[in-house]
Amino acid sequence: METIYYLKQKSDATMKIGILSKRKTGFTEKMDSYYKDKGHDVTIYTEDKLMVNSSLFHNDFYILKSKKLLFLYAGYFLHLNNIPVIPDPITSYKHKHRIEAYYSIRNCGLNTPIIYMGTTDCIKNQKDYIGFPFIVKPLMSSGSKGLRIIKSVEDLDYDPNKILYIEKFIKGTHYLAYIIDDQICVGEKQPFSDEHTKIKPINLENDIKNALMIWKKQYNLLFGHLDFIREDKTSKLIIVDPGTFPEFSNWKSGNNYVAKICNLILKRYEEIKG
Amino acid sequence: MKKVGLIIDKYHLEKKVKEFIVYLKKVCKLSLYVEENYIVDFNEIKFDEDLFFIKGKGDLILTFAKSLELDTDIPVINSSKGIWLAYNRFLNSSLLRSVGINVPNFSLNPIDDAPPFQNFIVKNVRDQDNYAFNPKINTKKGSIEVRDKRALSEVYGNEALYNFFYYQEYIESEFEYKVYGIGENLYFFKQIPVLQNPDKMKSRVAIKPITEIGEITYKVMELFNLKITSLDFLKSKENRYYLTDVNSTPNFNYLKNGPEIVGNYLLSQAKK
Repeated sequence: METIYYLKQKSDATMKIGILSKRKTGFTEKMDSYYKDKGHDVTIYTEDKLMVNSSLFHNDFYILKSKKLLFLYAGYFLHLNNIPVIPDPITSYKHKHRIEAYYSIRNCGLNTPIIYMGTTDCIKNQKDYIGFPFIVKPLMSSGSKGLRIIKSVEDLDYDPNKILYIEKFIKGTHYLAYIIDDQICVGEKQPFSDEHTKIKPINLENDIKNALMIWKKQYNLLFGHLDFIREDKTSKLIIVDPGTFPEFSNWKSGNNYVAKICNLILKRYEEIKG
Repeated sequence: MKKVGLIIDKYHLEKKVKEFIVYLKKVCKLSLYVEENYIVDFNEIKFDEDLFFIKGKGDLILTFAKSLELDTDIPVINSSKGIWLAYNRFLNSSLLRSVGINVPNFSLNPIDDAPPFQNFIVKNVRDQDNYAFNPKINTKKGSIEVRDKRALSEVYGNEALYNFFYYQEYIESEFEYKVYGIGENLYFFKQIPVLQNPDKMKSRVAIKPITEIGEITYKVMELFNLKITSLDFLKSKENRYYLTDVNSTPNFNYLKNGPEIVGNYLLSQAKK
């Protein structure tokens, strides 16, 4: 009798958690350690080890740390098979895809960059309409990865038929803003630097706080980040890049953020399971 | 006269819609938006068309369709969601199976892993380009291994996109069944499977409606929000139909009076 009771208790308390992540280091490693310390079974699935099929069904839930295509596929597959995935894979896809993100931002009543799509040749032909400078970004990307500033026709040295996603260049001050539950951390960053480049902490301005709270509420997020630019000419706050699961490399608002995020994820799992 | 916008890529414009355009020009005002010659200005999505018809699946076409759906009340056929799901093989297999539609077993596996099935077809992960299925067939010790050359070039080509393969379990079938869905109307055909005879039209014949696959076709059209489609089925030795392909830009020239049927259907769906 005692043995049965013990086993039941253990199975109730121990979760099987899968982490879909492009690497085993960084924040993934921190979550792995945290959950293992709490007695949970954790498996990290990197791209070279990930088979997306029913073999994934043995875990209780998954954490979608990375948004590379294979992980998004895995997240969508699991979601359709009623295995909880946190953050939500459909929202994660939408925030990674530049056009979907544009409409997601607009849907919240927040400011977006001015954007276009067209082939290289077509953009060259319409250069006077669009106006230099502008930025070419990969359609499926986040942060500054793969972006190029185009200052003249000579810079448009892509395949003439390649379809480009472009944003009008915004001259202004760049910010990186994190949110975890109701805690916010904001800093000024170097233009087009990645998340890991050191930021200069600033006092939280109301419009940045409001934008973060609206964004989080609209998409039922537990945490995330937004990159903003405060336009010099108009002082308008423009969202240029959202992210559902940053590394929090620049988080300055307390040391317990790993525990906080891990517990928010567990809580969301309980909510999903009802 | 109603105004129809045709959003299309150069390939479809040059190869697939000559008769269709001739017909449309007789019955409506037609405006052409060609992917290779058009800039989408997402800040100015204002049009006076009564309907947009999408013939293509490139990124610009898809995002243009999406912007029309979100920023205007103009009907868009097919929907951006339907086109996206149709070309994303893994996503549509996952979705179809989750609602109980019979699809062959499938899996995404790292390229260095052993294949998950004894008999299989490796297909391109995203069927977004305008290339035909180009199989490399290997039969050994009673098993069949088929690899689409497009899938191999996605992994091993100069501009490799993935380091995983999309596997679909091979279903042996005497015939391949093809259903065209245009609105409420379904058109049924069968042909020798492409793997046995690449000239699919040589053996294609019209057949009487098959209730089971007709019902699946309606279900898929509703689920994907596809108004115009063609679906491919195989029939196993156990007489089970398996849905193997969903096409959001079917070649309706193969239907008798196809351009007129599609043109008239589009006009029936236009705003005014």
